[in-house]
Amino acid sequence: MARLRIERLSKAFGGVVAVQAVDLDVAEGEFVSLLGPSGCGKTTTLRCVAGLEEPTVGRILFGERDVTRLPPEQRLIGMVFQSYALFPHMTVGDNIDFALQMRGVRGDEAGRRIAGVLDTVQLKGMEARYPRELSGGQQQRVALARALVAEPELLLLDEPLANLDAKLREEMRFFIRSLQRRLQITTLYVTHDQSEAMIMSDRIVVMFGGRIHQTGRPEDIYHRPATAEVANFIGQANMLKGTVVEWREGVATVAAAWGRFRCGTSRPVPEGSLVTAMVRPEALRLANGADRSEMTGRIVARHFLGNVLDYRVGLADGTVVCVQAMAGSFPPEGATVSLKIDQDKVWLLR
Amino acid sequence: MKRFPAWLIAFNALMYAFLLLPIAIVIPMSLNAGEYLAFPPQGFSIRWYVSFLNSEQFTSALLRSLWLAVAVAMLASAIASPAAIFYVRCLRAGREKFRLTMLAPMLLPEVLTSIALLFFFNQLFFGKSTIVPLMIGHVIITIPFVFLTVTSALYNMPPGVEEAARTMGAGPWAVFRRVTFPLIKSGIVTGAMLAFIMSFDNVNISLLLKPLGSSTLPIQLFDYLRYDFDPTAAAVSTISLTITLIVVLLIDRFYGLRAVRF
Amino acid sequence: MRRWLLALPAMLMVGLFVVVPYLNIVVMSFRAPSPSAIYGPGFTLDNYARILSDPLYLGLLKDTLLYALGTTSLCFAIGFPVAYHLARTESRWRGLLYAGVLSPLLTGVVIRCFGWIVLLANNGVINQLLGLAGLGPYRLMYNPVGVTIALVHVFLPFMILPIMNAIQSVDPRLSEAARTMGASSARTFVRVVLPLSLPGVQSGVILVFVLSASAYIIPMLLGGGQVSTTPTVVVQQLMGSLLWPFGATLALVLSFTALIVVALFGAATRRAMRGVA
Repeated sequence: MARLRIERLSKAFGGVVAVQAVDLDVAEGEFVSLLGPSGCGKTTTLRCVAGLEEPTVGRILFGERDVTRLPPEQRLIGMVFQSYALFPHMTVGDNIDFALQMRGVRGDEAGRRIAGVLDTVQLKGMEARYPRELSGGQQQRVALARALVAEPELLLLDEPLANLDAKLREEMRFFIRSLQRRLQITTLYVTHDQSEAMIMSDRIVVMFGGRIHQTGRPEDIYHRPATAEVANFIGQANMLKGTVVEWREGVATVAAAWGRFRCGTSRPVPEGSLVTAMVRPEALRLANGADRSEMTGRIVARHFLGNVLDYRVGLADGTVVCVQAMAGSFPPEGATVSLKIDQDKVWLLR
Repeated sequence: MKRFPAWLIAFNALMYAFLLLPIAIVIPMSLNAGEYLAFPPQGFSIRWYVSFLNSEQFTSALLRSLWLAVAVAMLASAIASPAAIFYVRCLRAGREKFRLTMLAPMLLPEVLTSIALLFFFNQLFFGKSTIVPLMIGHVIITIPFVFLTVTSALYNMPPGVEEAARTMGAGPWAVFRRVTFPLIKSGIVTGAMLAFIMSFDNVNISLLLKPLGSSTLPIQLFDYLRYDFDPTAAAVSTISLTITLIVVLLIDRFYGLRAVRF
Repeated sequence: MRRWLLALPAMLMVGLFVVVPYLNIVVMSFRAPSPSAIYGPGFTLDNYARILSDPLYLGLLKDTLLYALGTTSLCFAIGFPVAYHLARTESRWRGLLYAGVLSPLLTGVVIRCFGWIVLLANNGVINQLLGLAGLGPYRLMYNPVGVTIALVHVFLPFMILPIMNAIQSVDPRLSEAARTMGASSARTFVRVVLPLSLPGVQSGVILVFVLSASAYIIPMLLGGGQVSTTPTVVVQQLMGSLLWPFGATLALVLSFTALIVVALFGAATRRAMRGVA
């Protein structure tokens, strides 16, 4: 299996730039998600890797091979489309066989591999069925089988679970991920669902407006987002604005209208600069009497979400922060409360 | 359940009768034993069919119409199908213009087109001594129909199947052969059958472009009706109707009549 | 870039056998007539002058347009209710009804005219039936009545189908919304469905108008020699006498006039279609 390398990829359609200066290295056997809202360029990037679109600028390499100018049929990839794109006029077996025929595998060998891959996706014995006779989940797995049977270098998936209902989506996430782990196949996965990306990926590439905002492991992206867009897209984020008072060894002290706080940062920041830091709702707590806290405010709204209690607290300078806790007291609206920040979990944004 | 006012139903029933009556009346007429177009029919007889079979003019016209229609259907399909594929899959700019050009022969009055071709062939080519001008005229007006059915079939293809085939290693020709063509086959066949019917029944083009001395069935019937008036014409009409009905039923089996959209 | 080769045969066919011949008609209309050949030497505006000044030909044009207008109006009056029902019905006979509307299109025009002759002749079916009741015989053929009936019959499907398509594409939920706001069926139809189906009405009207203005076979067969329209005269000129330049001019003048009427109609209805098409 080859590594995938995307170098300085840009793609423009007429006057519209869909992808801008994308760089990405995917290690062998790695599962990388391209995550972002619709229109962010993730699907276009995937299609360039597949060869279905030609890059305006940049190179695509599979291992040592420069495939930038190669048509899709010569790239040895397997691709799963959002609409599955199963051939309606062929049986399940023929759909899968098609991939083998194109790569020159025939006869008994082909029959064995088809049966094998159907077994892998838990559709044993369905060779003679037609796509229209299958449920959405089953069609999805046929599409997967079809992409994998020829043992491609790279597996590409374009929002394959978007058309399934929530329960099935959950099941299929684990299924695809465990299958990928077993086969150790390098995988590029496009999705707009952040929890999906977090669950399935070794690394996530977060894109907005055609550009990569951040590449990293799920924990890194969640706890140390690079930009406000990334912070807001993944989970919920509270934005705290202020001026830098001091910076020392990866920790900045920031003065806000309602008090001071410390936050982590990867780069030095000059004193006096205006910054925004983010803190997740679960990193804020309602303080009990013994804790000293600088953050005070009134409860503006509260919601009982079952396993989680959600409060909106208005601070002195008007900022409303979201606080979430698993259990605890449930003060009424209008009550004045103190909040405690888990200072390790505050992160300075670019 | 949608309810319609009674007057609407009654009115519509009348209108359907109006639409179908002239066509329907011809059939019992052809089996009439009587000499003139009397109604009610005066007994059952197939003498008018015999009369038709005895008429060398009619039978040769029928045969000519049949093989001409087959040839036109094949030619129109061969010409219009690739154009439809080009339009749906390849064309980016000037789509509306291209579509209008392809549909032009259907949108322009047939009389004008036949006059135009009459002049054209007489002035620039060999005149009407062969059946070629007639065939070309028929092909021209049937191309739009095949174009419409094939583009419709292409639009109705499941999205992404051609791309999926390419990611599985199929080159452009293999994609067409194994994926595109099987899926649009019914559109091509339906278009060909429509072309057959349009050519078989055509009068306007045939009238002006037919070669001297030979005729197509509708023209033969037209000439006959200007002078003679016996139920032989009914027999001819019924035979013609039967042929087109068979083709229509075949279209319905392949594609359903919903495919015929204007 | 070999892709455009796919369209090449079709483009060649249409270019060579439609565009060029049509341009040629225009050229032909400016040629001088000749008794012995299809046209004589030189170019002239005489043909146009003759048509536009001779009351005979102007009257012919007027008659043709009147037939077209009459046919179109009748087709609309008859066709709209049929189209509406067909578009909205949920009956299981729907397919059959649709086939019923389509079937006239798939039978030859000559056969349909023959059927009308059988029905409308002095000793035809209708007159015989009326005779049983002691009425008539009425002259239903070889006059404008017979021609109009046949024209309406032949072109009715061309009115019904576009209107049906247009009504079908009006979201039924719009009607439902109107009903929840208190509108009766009739008012919903008039205020919501009808305006939204105007593009289809426009298509149907234009189509039938142009088709009936250029009809040749039907006036010939149902009119005997007694009904002359421009197309019948044109074809006579072309087939009978060798007056091709004049025939060409007549055909072009008719087409142009029809085009003007259609354009005026389009402009008039454009206002009514604001926001729809």
